[in-house]
Amino acid sequence: MKGMVFVELFRMAETVMSEEDLDNIIDHIDLSTDGAYTSVGNYPCSELIKLVVAIGDQLNIPVTALQTKFGHWMFSRFVDGYPEFFEGKQNAFEMLEAIENEVHVEVLKLYPDAELPTFSTQRFSGGAGLKMTYSSDRPLNHFCLGLIEGCVEHFDRPAEIKMRDCSEDGRCRAEFMIEWAK
Amino acid sequence: MARPEYDHPITQLPDRVSRRRYEREKRARQEAEQLLEAKSRELYDANLALQKQAAGLEEAVAQRTAEFEAARNEAESANAAKSIFLATMSHEIRTPLNGVLGMATALADSDLTSEQEEILDLISDSGNLLLSVINDILDLSKVEAGMLEIENVPTSVCDFLDGMCAQFAPKVREKGLRFTVLYSGLLSAGGVWAKFDPNRLSQVLGNLLSNAIKFTTSGAVAFTAEAVHLENGNLQLNLIIRDTGIGVPEENSEKLFQPFTQADASITRKFGGTGLGLVIARDICRMMGGDITCLSAAGDGTEFTASIQMAPAKCPETTKGLQLAENETVLNQRRWRVLIAEDNKTNQLVLKHMLKRYDLELVIVADGAKVVSEWRSNGADLILMDVNMPVMDGLSATQTIRADELEGKHQPVPIVAISANAMVHQVSGYLEGGMTGHVAKPIRKAELIRAMALALSETATAPT
Repeated sequence: MKGMVFVELFRMAETVMSEEDLDNIIDHIDLSTDGAYTSVGNYPCSELIKLVVAIGDQLNIPVTALQTKFGHWMFSRFVDGYPEFFEGKQNAFEMLEAIENEVHVEVLKLYPDAELPTFSTQRFSGGAGLKMTYSSDRPLNHFCLGLIEGCVEHFDRPAEIKMRDCSEDGRCRAEFMIEWAK
Repeated sequence: MARPEYDHPITQLPDRVSRRRYEREKRARQEAEQLLEAKSRELYDANLALQKQAAGLEEAVAQRTAEFEAARNEAESANAAKSIFLATMSHEIRTPLNGVLGMATALADSDLTSEQEEILDLISDSGNLLLSVINDILDLSKVEAGMLEIENVPTSVCDFLDGMCAQFAPKVREKGLRFTVLYSGLLSAGGVWAKFDPNRLSQVLGNLLSNAIKFTTSGAVAFTAEAVHLENGNLQLNLIIRDTGIGVPEENSEKLFQPFTQADASITRKFGGTGLGLVIARDICRMMGGDITCLSAAGDGTEFTASIQMAPAKCPETTKGLQLAENETVLNQRRWRVLIAEDNKTNQLVLKHMLKRYDLELVIVADGAKVVSEWRSNGADLILMDVNMPVMDGLSATQTIRADELEGKHQPVPIVAISANAMVHQVSGYLEGGMTGHVAKPIRKAELIRAMALALSETATAPT
């Protein structure tokens, strides 16, 4: 997993806990680099899960909720860092539909070794709804939910989002049914 | 929209960081530096490889371009060599042929038995056929060298077409075929004048008509001509020649327009021909802004359509040129003193025989220097001047004479060029060089008499 995700997790954590508390958490987990992450490096995803669990414990927040919050955080980082991907996108559906065939294509050009999840999309209800299916080796369904919520908030048009976990045989899979709010 | 609460720091950041945090940040920074260093190295190497590849490509492109250029030059020079060879050979054959045809004409003027006349006709016909083949080859080499010249002169379209029909009608009837002629469009009213090259167009139309006659054994040859206005202000002339002859199988129609090829090899054995006529005809039409198309099926006759574009022209008030009888009258007016500069013995003889019926004072010399000295000593009413001669060529001799005349304020003597180099730009070169007229070799008697009469009549009417 890209180091950027670890660096951003720490940045988010530091908005709700002291450096001291975060350092304590890092010191108590067995991490390959002793918690020295750089945004241009690559690190095991399992360390991210360990950190999320530990930060959730410290803040007394369920891991799923923390993942969702972290999804929101990351989405706002994408908005700041990569405005070009948002150009010409009229709404959240168009943005979400572009992830697989536009955003990921560019990511792979810059990081040929990146291991990316797949996001397939399908419109329903005559275009008023979007079904998005997340599939990955990493159990980050709720992180995805946060990203989708962040996207919907960014475009400022309320929508209803339902998530259904369909993981099986160790492969993480989730379906998101997104419909414009009535 | 309200930002989530975790966007705002809830704790005051301390002034100093702990040693462990410092160590971790340092380690992260070092790792980042190593990664960036490795990435930079990768980029540098990739860039080097790209530069090398680009240089290699440039080199390959340059080499390939040079190869293509060499191949093109080779092909062009081979083609040029072929055209020069054809042109030279044609020229070299035309000169002795000039002798054969000229002598045949001279012989025809003498007293012959009917058997001798028959033999002479055969000699003339064979010679003329050979001449037309050579002219075709010469035309083709001019076309291929891009040197075929079109000389557009204001001409009456109907008069031109009438002349062509009059020439071919007897040949059609001789074969027992019907010949129908129809003028439509603007031509139906007559009186259409346009600028085109009548010599080249007669070559096209003559080729199509003689093909139609040649390949039709029964039935008819139908000739339709129409002229229409075009949006660009020009006129389009369409000449449609239909026959009820053997036709051309569809699979062979492409071959019609390939040099030295006929629709079928057996055609050459049965009907003769070089397979050049249509190629040249089509090239001429294309140079005149048109084309030739062919519609046919085996056994079902053929329809050729030749089209050209012409600029409209006005009917000139008087037409220049005299008829043969009038021309001969001019030649017989008095005993004109005519100097002939010609180095070739055969050509000297041809000219002498062609002119022997007229009471002229002929003085024949073999080069330009001799003609200048003869003119200086004894003067002349007319000079017939070959262009390519030893010692002094015809153009230099003409310039010398013109310079002398200017100095001595003499009336200029008419000088008619006689040359096988008869392309439009060559002829205009002779006229610019001070010559007054031109006759092409092989010399045709009527043309020679016309040119001489024209030059002499201008002398006769010129103020002295």
